[in-house]
Amino acid sequence: MSEQVNIVASDSETTGEDKSQLSFPDVAIGIDIGTSNCSVAVWTGHQVELLENTRNQNGMRSYVMFKDDTLSAGVTRGATREHGHEERDILSGSAIFNMKRLIGRMDTDEVVQASKGLPFLVQTLGIGVRPFIAALVNNVWRSTTPEEVLAIFLLELKAFVEMHLKHPVRNAVLTIPVAFSRFQQTRIERACAMVGLHVLRLMPEPTAVALLYAQQQQQLLHDNMGSGMEKIALIFNMGAGYCDAAVADTAGGVSQIRALSGRTVGGEDILQNVMRHLLPYFDSLYVDQTMDRIKSTGLLRMATQDAIHKLSSQQHVEINVDLGDGHKVSKILGRGEFETVNHAIFEKCERIIKQCLADAKLGPDDINDVILVGGCSRIPKIRSVVLGLCKKKDSYGGMDPLEAAVLGAALEGAIASGVTDPSGCLDLLTIQATPMNLGIRADGGNFVAIIPRNTAVPARRDMLLTTMHDNQTEVLIVVYEGEGNQAEENHLLGYFKITGIPAAGKGAVEINVCMDIDAANVLRVFAGVIKPQGQAVPPFVEVRMPTMDDGHGWCGQALAKMYGTTLDLAVLPKKLHP
Amino acid sequence: MASFASTAATAVPGGCVAGARRGGRCVFRASAAMAVAAPSRNHYEVLGVEAGASRGEIKAAYRRLAREVHPDAGGGAAGDEDFLRLHAAYATLADPDERARYDRTMAGPAAMLRRAPASFRRRTWETDQCW
Repeated sequence: MSEQVNIVASDSETTGEDKSQLSFPDVAIGIDIGTSNCSVAVWTGHQVELLENTRNQNGMRSYVMFKDDTLSAGVTRGATREHGHEERDILSGSAIFNMKRLIGRMDTDEVVQASKGLPFLVQTLGIGVRPFIAALVNNVWRSTTPEEVLAIFLLELKAFVEMHLKHPVRNAVLTIPVAFSRFQQTRIERACAMVGLHVLRLMPEPTAVALLYAQQQQQLLHDNMGSGMEKIALIFNMGAGYCDAAVADTAGGVSQIRALSGRTVGGEDILQNVMRHLLPYFDSLYVDQTMDRIKSTGLLRMATQDAIHKLSSQQHVEINVDLGDGHKVSKILGRGEFETVNHAIFEKCERIIKQCLADAKLGPDDINDVILVGGCSRIPKIRSVVLGLCKKKDSYGGMDPLEAAVLGAALEGAIASGVTDPSGCLDLLTIQATPMNLGIRADGGNFVAIIPRNTAVPARRDMLLTTMHDNQTEVLIVVYEGEGNQAEENHLLGYFKITGIPAAGKGAVEINVCMDIDAANVLRVFAGVIKPQGQAVPPFVEVRMPTMDDGHGWCGQALAKMYGTTLDLAVLPKKLHP
Repeated sequence: MASFASTAATAVPGGCVAGARRGGRCVFRASAAMAVAAPSRNHYEVLGVEAGASRGEIKAAYRRLAREVHPDAGGGAAGDEDFLRLHAAYATLADPDERARYDRTMAGPAAMLRRAPASFRRRTWETDQCW
């Protein structure tokens, strides 16, 4: 498999060299890889355009089918057969999907644990390493990894785009969920690198939507219909895997992200809740994963998915499905019941929006437009929750909820590629913000944020720290990302030591830790001793984060076990007048 | 004027630590670490607004300048430094409390002169819903 990827990658590289530099500008494409659907768009010279495969109206399904020696992704295959038949194939065990939920996660992660109900093999040992996933090929589980699955998918997607545009594609802007850790982002970049795609930007999904919104506001101004006044939009995006919100402040083509928040919650969770509601012993059904059981869960999944879609437009839905082996589900599901079953999910959505508004220091009355995007934005309860919190009667109607993110990504792709448009259509700027606190472990096991969440990017912040023990000559800088107060509750990004600190009493030396995020969202940490000064002091250390490779779950614990508190740091209180 | 860096709850470039970016790579200047380089321009000068500027004027100036100095908008030559300085100025002046504190730290006759007209409008900034 990996050989196949390599061959194609080098192929496109060589053909790219010949033609690309001569005949066309290297405009980055925009890709939105969803948990369940995927779409791709590109700047065509005067606007952004969605690339569609001929018959598949609802975008492309995100999956990869493993069959004998052939692999096929949802990019083109989805169009060739009847939808229902295709769906059955996808759920037969031979296809891997939901890779966006699995990528870059450890087997201790609850999202991975919850993925065990999927009709392919997700094996976890609960020790903080990459889960083992496999597809059924000729009645044998064949192993793969989420990155590999994503790469196979991207390979087919890239071929499709190149066929469509009739020239090689090398650069891309991809949208990612707000909740993605920096480690997960590196996995996406790795998958792209495997197929010869260079990632110009990874854009949080709602910020891509904000960019499209900024463009539309500019357009209105050009057509003399807009006021040119500042507009504040709340963007709520909920797909199959993730839910995000953003508050963006837009005027004059500049879109400033004031707050971002997001969690791993989406349509997949709603689906699993309803499946468990319909079949209370669902969890015992999939544990053995025999062929029959995979088939049964597949059938239940299809019926449930269908019912949830119908409940968006009708009050009741009848579910009748024979799962074989004497298992049967026959039920009328009402919208009220559906909403009760998923109560916890709607509450999570509420919390995401409340946090986003609080972080932006805004109330519902300050919001001019509420933009609802993503597949789950069709669910009436979701709409009413979001609009209710923002005290609005209706949402912004100017964009397609399933296309907004990818069109925004394609706009960013054109801007980042340096394309200029004479009509001023690309005269746009997004000032991004950091979605999570970035900091280090200090003062015992505490997490100390150096760059707090929602800081404008590019950003640079620093902090003064000191030693915890007398004559401590080394300190360990452990870098985390997240919202927890305890270091261990956050995502570990990497670690390094500062050695050769001059021996002194505890608290006497001053250590500066500086974090820097550049416009391309690359995080670097600089650290070193600044007091005492002189020749005896070691040089500063600069580390690009994350440094972690796979299997990072146990690293934090291993560090704690190995070093305990011997290399700990303490925060120095801010001096008022140095 | 040299006391600006002490208000640096927000990052002041060239303050405590200088990680200068050159050609996309970070070059660390440890020697400058403690040298609290006095910024040559104060926050108002960075934004190009009067000391008594309204919040709307400050925002508009920030947006206009962001389109010039943000690395994504072609301000690549100076790296991130210009944007970091612009944003630090904006973040301080857009927050009424931060702005009041900043104005107080600006000692010296020049600052006193600037502050005189500012005291007129400060009340409205505070009642303004600001962020």
